[in-house]
Amino acid sequence: MSAILRLLVFGFLALSVVYVLVSLYSRSVRREKLEKAWDSDPAREGTATGDRDAYIKAGMAAYETGLRKKLIWLVYVLPALAMGLIIYFVNWD
Amino acid sequence: MWRYIKWGFRITLLLFVVGFFHYTLPQHDIVRIVGTENRRIDVGVNSIFWSRPDVGMAEGNASRDVFFINAIYPDGSIMDYRNEDTGWGWPPYFKIDTFALQTKAKEMISPSSAPTWVSVTHYGWRNGLFTIFPNAVEVTRVDGQNARIIPWFNIVFFVVLGFVLFMLRRMWMQFRERTIDPVVASAGETWDSVDATADAARDRAKGIFGRFMAWLGTWSGKGR
Repeated sequence: MSAILRLLVFGFLALSVVYVLVSLYSRSVRREKLEKAWDSDPAREGTATGDRDAYIKAGMAAYETGLRKKLIWLVYVLPALAMGLIIYFVNWD
Repeated sequence: MWRYIKWGFRITLLLFVVGFFHYTLPQHDIVRIVGTENRRIDVGVNSIFWSRPDVGMAEGNASRDVFFINAIYPDGSIMDYRNEDTGWGWPPYFKIDTFALQTKAKEMISPSSAPTWVSVTHYGWRNGLFTIFPNAVEVTRVDGQNARIIPWFNIVFFVVLGFVLFMLRRMWMQFRERTIDPVVASAGETWDSVDATADAARDRAKGIFGRFMAWLGTWSGKGR
């Protein structure tokens, strides 16, 4: 029994590290995309930096509630699913 | 001299990685099962090549009974498999059906006059020097000794591994572009604004870090 607890606890910790890293990466990619979208738009040339900051802030707020951020939970779901499949195919199929 | 050390290091690392996967990933043997047995084993210094007691049983005993499956390849050479639970430990096969597998194997025993060919899925190596055996995970009847087996698990595994490595690289590049480079750049600007005597110090810092990055660069094959 202690072996499965150890597996679950350490597995959860390892996946949490992955979750945090992927979250940081995803956020960073989104921010870069917003910055580039603003900077490459000729209509916005010469506007105040405050507008740019507000645009990026709004974009990041949209990201925080969006689908893409929720998809990062797959970091926990997919390994658990893989484990379930392996248990099934090794022992019962 | 330095070049030989570097290559020696790389080759050792490569051998270690390849050996690790070759030991851990499942392989399929087509064999004829000639017998099954149960034997008391006292595991010694070769213990990392043995599994652990069945799930739920007392742990920490060096001595225990282990199932074995004896088999013959179509060309007449011999293979012996151990049949042990991996349980919740390494490698992550989560195998808990040792007794059922032993019964299955027993049912598939066949004489050479009327051979039943069986695919034994296993991981691990057979080595007489260390007395280690591959661990059987699954036995399945196949049509004949030339049956073709597609290693689906390994295909999926390496695709996933490739994706993970690719994403790790992308994440590192993103981190370097967005976090390290701006810091290095602003540090460089600060240096520029101070006295010229700082130039020497900057060159030295650049030298150590630059040399380290150049060394890392040689791994990815892009010259710096």
